[in-house]
Amino acid sequence: MTMRRIEIDKNRLLSWGDRYRIYLLFAVIFLIMAIFAPRFLTIFNLTTILRTTALHGTIAIGFTIVMICGQLDLSIGRIATFSAVLAMLLQPQLGFWLSVPLAVAAGAGIGLINGLLVAKAKIHSFIVTIGTMTILQGLVFTISGGNTVSLASQEAFAASDFLSNPVIPLLPVRVVIFILLVLGFDFLLKKSRPGRNFYLTGGNRTTAWLAGIKTDRVLIGAFVISGTMAAAGGVLFAMETMAATLYLGENSLMYVVSATIIGGTIMSGGKGGVLKTAVAVLTLEMLYTGVVLFGLGNEVKIFISGLVLAVVVLYEAYAMYKHEKIIGQRPELIRELERKKEKG
Amino acid sequence: MKKVTVLLSVLLIVAVGATISAGQREEVDDAVAEQRLEESLEVDTSVLQAADGQPLLRVAEETPDIPPRPDDPSALPQTDPLHWYDMEFSGWEVEKTNIPESPMDGAIGKRVVMIVHGDHPWTTACTTGAQKVADAYDMDFQVLSPNWDLAVQNQMIDQTINERPDMILLIPLDASVAVRQARSINQAGIPLILFNTLPTAEAMRFAITWTGPDDFGQMRELSKHFADELRSRNPDADELGVVYVQHEPGGSPYFARSWGPISTLSEYAPEIKTLDMQAPGFEADRTQQLVSDWLTRFGDDLKGIFAADDGPQTLGIVEALQRAGREDVVVVAAGNSKVGMDLIKEGTLFAITYQTAEGDGALAVQTAADWFNGLEIPNRRDLPQHIITEEDVDNFYPPQW
Amino acid sequence: MNQNSTVDSRAVQTNIFTSFMGIVGIYAIAALFILLGAVLQMTGVINNFLTSRNFINIIDSVALLGIVASGMAFVTYSGHYADLSAPTTMAFSGIVAVEMLRFGFFPALLGAFAVGIIIGSINGFVIGKFKANPIIWTLAMSYVTMGVIRFIWVNRQIYPGIITDDVRAIMLFDNIYRFRLFGVISMPLILMIILVIIGQFLLTKTPFGIKLKITGSAKRTAKFTGINVSLVIGTAFLLSALAATVAGLAVTSLSRVGAWYIGEGYDFRAVTAIVIGGMTLAGGRGSIVGVMGGTLVIGIMNNIMTLLGIGTFSQDIIRGMIFIMVVGINAKTLRSMGRDDA
Repeated sequence: MTMRRIEIDKNRLLSWGDRYRIYLLFAVIFLIMAIFAPRFLTIFNLTTILRTTALHGTIAIGFTIVMICGQLDLSIGRIATFSAVLAMLLQPQLGFWLSVPLAVAAGAGIGLINGLLVAKAKIHSFIVTIGTMTILQGLVFTISGGNTVSLASQEAFAASDFLSNPVIPLLPVRVVIFILLVLGFDFLLKKSRPGRNFYLTGGNRTTAWLAGIKTDRVLIGAFVISGTMAAAGGVLFAMETMAATLYLGENSLMYVVSATIIGGTIMSGGKGGVLKTAVAVLTLEMLYTGVVLFGLGNEVKIFISGLVLAVVVLYEAYAMYKHEKIIGQRPELIRELERKKEKG
Repeated sequence: MKKVTVLLSVLLIVAVGATISAGQREEVDDAVAEQRLEESLEVDTSVLQAADGQPLLRVAEETPDIPPRPDDPSALPQTDPLHWYDMEFSGWEVEKTNIPESPMDGAIGKRVVMIVHGDHPWTTACTTGAQKVADAYDMDFQVLSPNWDLAVQNQMIDQTINERPDMILLIPLDASVAVRQARSINQAGIPLILFNTLPTAEAMRFAITWTGPDDFGQMRELSKHFADELRSRNPDADELGVVYVQHEPGGSPYFARSWGPISTLSEYAPEIKTLDMQAPGFEADRTQQLVSDWLTRFGDDLKGIFAADDGPQTLGIVEALQRAGREDVVVVAAGNSKVGMDLIKEGTLFAITYQTAEGDGALAVQTAADWFNGLEIPNRRDLPQHIITEEDVDNFYPPQW
Repeated sequence: MNQNSTVDSRAVQTNIFTSFMGIVGIYAIAALFILLGAVLQMTGVINNFLTSRNFINIIDSVALLGIVASGMAFVTYSGHYADLSAPTTMAFSGIVAVEMLRFGFFPALLGAFAVGIIIGSINGFVIGKFKANPIIWTLAMSYVTMGVIRFIWVNRQIYPGIITDDVRAIMLFDNIYRFRLFGVISMPLILMIILVIIGQFLLTKTPFGIKLKITGSAKRTAKFTGINVSLVIGTAFLLSALAATVAGLAVTSLSRVGAWYIGEGYDFRAVTAIVIGGMTLAGGRGSIVGVMGGTLVIGIMNNIMTLLGIGTFSQDIIRGMIFIMVVGINAKTLRSMGRDDA
């Protein structure tokens, strides 16, 4: 009797660990860095980590939702760049209160196009977003004239200072915005009907459709959110330095994809969460910062990002492999048979 | 009661001892500073060599003639050299703000942090050169690379400011963002030298100085060689068509290596006509396709090609020319890598600019050392310009990168 | 066209256009572009389009892409989207080849192929046996490989001329890209044609090809038919890595330098070519000959745009739009013929 109870507890512990593994990973990395990395636990360093997390994390919010629906949005980096450039370009004529919302709306518009092509024209999202990505690159270069777009007016400095000022130590306004967005979307996803529709559509699109969910609208919605978030992330980042470079979002894609996967969202959709992704971005950022603090070169950073991703993918794949092996088996029956074999 | 007395007396002794030793250290410090300064001034870095056998540290002998600034350069046409005034002459005449004063205690043992722009074999050579000078002065020298990511560079700058090194050397990833970067370093009271990439004049206010290659100047010089060779190969032509293979957009070389020569040639050789300019990136195969298509489109009208890079781009150009049997086309490029120099020896590439990567990094560190030594630093220090052709290419082997 | 295979109950509509597209596929679009070019030339907007020199240039320019794409096509055909580790495989095999030139030309080739086999096998094993997500895994592999390359060679690039004094080896290596048969046909083109022939043969005439088709179309069913699915998928990734190795040698030979940045961009460009060429991401549909057609279309497109004088940035915009359009047409055609798509 006692043995079985321990077994069940072990299983429950393992499954708890699996579901919350990103938080465990976060804690482990944080501890390692705090103990071993020089100057890690300074207010300055932690704020820097949070600020970078806010950039990639905002973009990751949208990407996670798209992935939950079982799709891919590879254009997020370029949407971020495009919106940032647009916001900076329009600011002198329209002021921030107009140019920023317009830029974010442009991002939403691009997301809408992505969504329509995926849902209505039924072209695979991998393809659509590669195409959008290419188009946006050309657009960015064209509207910017080949140079970084930057602002140096008093208004600009004031806005950027406002966003960078800490509300409380460790949390500048930008980061607070990011945290609010994460919490908001996580709540939306887990607790509301539209949110759950994303999971259902991702899990099995046909079944969801048969159940009455307007899967087309859900998909389009996911891409619009992704576009909006990418735009928001890009614009907020550009506002910090009041400059939009032409390659602003280039690194975001890989960062965001890694974080989303490591955070537990899977490509086939139906599982995962925005909060987990955000924590994953934070964890990755701590890891990379640690590499720099240890004085190691960029090649180590690249290697580690690949390694972490590989380990996570392997772990997931192996778990699925084992799971598939025992599909259809009945562990209690097997145990009983083995026990019988031992006895007699 | 006893414990408290013991504790208080210990504290008192410690405090007295600290004060005495602190006072003593002050005197020792002055003496040490002077001695360090003397030692530092004795270091002779002029004997250092770069990998190509050239002297590591060279500064351009003459400062260029700087014309007066037009009221609104951007209103002028792009073919007018003065349109590019701000990009080209940034930093020569600028009012400095809040520049820290040199502590005048020599460069030995100073903590110097160099933040470059990104990973590339060129950058590896640059930091090698910098390290040579840093070693000569026994500096505590560190290099950080943000690998072309502006967010990471800003982060590195912030982190470095936090550490309070004795000097920061910075290659700004972007000319306009450099203003904020320089400003924040300046406001933290840390001495700053910008190098390699020219920032806007606004950013120069906050730095001690800028060192590096005069990209515009080099390209203008190269274009004159280009024009001369074009004329000598086509003596009877009253129109010479050329194309420009551009640098990646998003930085000043994109403009310097296309509009620089175009604006110079508009006065120097007006019979040279710009047929097209494109930015295919730094890939040999894409450049090859581009040039092949250009040859198809322009045929014999195409007489010369001006490339922003003497490596993959030029290889693609040469391949395309050879396949089309058009070896009569004059090719020049911005250099100088081993591939480019090899092509010059082969004769397929006519001329490249000499741009010492090691010297770039070394000059920045040397300027820092000069500042620590209390020497007067000019607003801008350019690397020497030189055009490499078949005659003197052998002087530049083995290649730096 | 035979209409007896319907996947779902949507009405099947065929007309001349879809039947034509079904048979000829991508080459119809290629012909369309050539026609466009001809019209532009006849109206005097562009010149020299319809010359043999121009067509040779077009094929030459996409040969490298064709090599990578014909290998990666196996991965796509098996329903595993793409092999994003191709660029770093190219760089790694190239730099190893240059490093091993010190032992001679053939050891260098051996070294390069050893690299390709290792990377391809790792990819194949993990994705084939453990069913890891191909996009994420190959992405992770590319980072790991990149880190390894930069670590071993300490962020530098290496030159054949400096590694060795063996002039013959250097010349042979240089000629990997530059050799021309009869002075006209370039080596990359020869390699691409060979690979396409081998690939097409593998795909259509060998048991492996048939197994791959079944695996790509219906993986579960494939397993129950007794096919060793892991082996089939693993072989697909191995083939992709080998093709990347060949391309890596060619690009390294062209650039005359072994460096970590060789091959950048080839991953998405190859996927573009594959998908334009008629392979669907769901797997089991398309052909290597079609992939070659896809690369041809890209080459013709680039050529016409440059001849028209369209700037590089605008070319990107147009390329992206055409890409989406062509794939959309492909998908629609398949769907109206009652075959599945995606």
